Amino acid sequence: MAEQSLPAALPAAAPARRSSGVTRFLRREGFGIVALVVLIVTIIGPLSTVFFWSFAEQWRYPALIPTEWGLSYWGETLSRADIRRALPTSIVLSIVVTLLSLVVCLPASYAFARMKFRGRQFFLLSFLITNAFPRFGIYIAIAIIFFRINLVGTFAGVVLIQLVNTLLLMIWIPTAAFQGVDRALEEAALDVGASRLRVFMQITLPMVMPALIAAVLLTFVGTFYETYGALLIGVPNVQTIPVIMFPLINNQPIPQPGAILSLVLFAPSLLLIIYANRLLRGGYLTAGFGV
Amino acid sequence: MAAQPPARSRTDWRQPLLAYALIAPPIILVFALLLFPALQSFVRTLVDVPGSTGGISFARYQSFFENQISVNNLVFTIQMTVLSTIGLFIVCFPLALYLRFSNSRIAGWVQSIALFPLFVPGIMLSYALIRFLRPRGMLETFLNLFGAADGYETPYLKPLGIIIGLIWEGIPFTLLILTAGLRQVDNSLIESARDVGANTLQIFWRILLPLTARSALIAFCLNFIGNFASYTVPYLLGPAAPQMMGIFMQRTFQEFQRPQEAETQAVITFLMCLIVGLLYVYAVTRQRADQR
Repeated sequence: MAEQSLPAALPAAAPARRSSGVTRFLRREGFGIVALVVLIVTIIGPLSTVFFWSFAEQWRYPALIPTEWGLSYWGETLSRADIRRALPTSIVLSIVVTLLSLVVCLPASYAFARMKFRGRQFFLLSFLITNAFPRFGIYIAIAIIFFRINLVGTFAGVVLIQLVNTLLLMIWIPTAAFQGVDRALEEAALDVGASRLRVFMQITLPMVMPALIAAVLLTFVGTFYETYGALLIGVPNVQTIPVIMFPLINNQPIPQPGAILSLVLFAPSLLLIIYANRLLRGGYLTAGFGV
Repeated sequence: MAAQPPARSRTDWRQPLLAYALIAPPIILVFALLLFPALQSFVRTLVDVPGSTGGISFARYQSFFENQISVNNLVFTIQMTVLSTIGLFIVCFPLALYLRFSNSRIAGWVQSIALFPLFVPGIMLSYALIRFLRPRGMLETFLNLFGAADGYETPYLKPLGIIIGLIWEGIPFTLLILTAGLRQVDNSLIESARDVGANTLQIFWRILLPLTARSALIAFCLNFIGNFASYTVPYLLGPAAPQMMGIFMQRTFQEFQRPQEAETQAVITFLMCLIVGLLYVYAVTRQRADQR
């Protein structure tokens, strides 16, 4: 993930005269080494417990790793009735929300990038308010409305509430991408007689494709994790994986099911991690915050 | 959208109409599912008051602030939010400075590990921290390895557990926003400052801090709002009482079935975050105006 193009220029890192190679290295990298060790213990440490517990038959204090390994909890956990219902619900919900978000947002982002109209900047910035409200509070307000129109406990209700979450990202990333396409290329193709549709399909679309893939991936994974909307609007009929995890994690004497479901929930993230470098370089990771 | 070929320099009256038609669906969603419910709830807390005969009444707010439990929860929420946001900056600012100025392999690893939680679901993160922090968890196991486990007091189910969880959750994107801000500071600017004799501290205070103030503000606002109404981390890692507002609202709404009280709590949460939310919109708007 290291994509620094700028040279090291921290004044504090200026090497002392006549010091040996080791001390120079420590002076320059001392902070980095300490940070690395602390981060490994505090970030990799907790996350490793998820991995260990999901493959542990027995893990007694004070052993550093499980005392007995095995897969028996996997079958037991994944065959539970509530989980067998929740997994397809989560997947279908994420796919539906992502597709709907694409359909709703792509034409809009094309308009934001390419068309001239009054209030363009205002409307583009209005999507920021999805971040400016405390989410849990707004869901209570929505739940009260949905309750009156019988949307609580319905699939459609959960789709709507999760859709709102995806808008900022799905508008801003493609808008930036459409703006970044070189108009001269399109004009040149039009000049040699290509149809507008062909120009769009063969020039514009391929150039914005990486951004679209990034937006779709981030939306899908974000919706797959989404907890609050499903928790407040979905109950009791629409239960997603994160929602059924609460009772499995909270004060549970048997830790394995929680670990296994954590890994299941984490699985789509692997796609993001493979794509991480490109996400970082393209600035797509910060787009969801409006930056 | 495939049907919309790039319009060249066509600026007749049809284009704005088409543009409004295209942007209408997402705009309507934002207004119908964010602004309208928020405004409606706000109005109802003033107008829809039990026992009131009409007109504006503050009785619902009054009963919130007369109840010791709600006041405790609100104060607790503010404390947790402020402490975790401060903690986050103490952790992230040095890391961001280091990542800005080092391009060594170690810096690459530091960045990869620090950003990794971005891809971890909030509930998995809470699970991991429970297993890490709880008595006889991994942290105590580590400490035991060095013979230092005696007197280990777990932060799990205590206020400190919430602060640790919220910091952990906030590190990746705070770091992303801060490093992005620091990258905008030109290297030549720093070098010329050093040429005229500025020391490291002066460079930090006079150049880096002012030029990254806006990114820091954006990170602060997002953290403040996110932490104020967080649910997963305080529910799984925090104490049973006092509760943060997210849990309080959820229980009032679902367990006690008192939607009207939950609505009052939600509106109080909005009002608490209102200034920070406006500040966030302002900061991003200015940032974008400057970039263009």
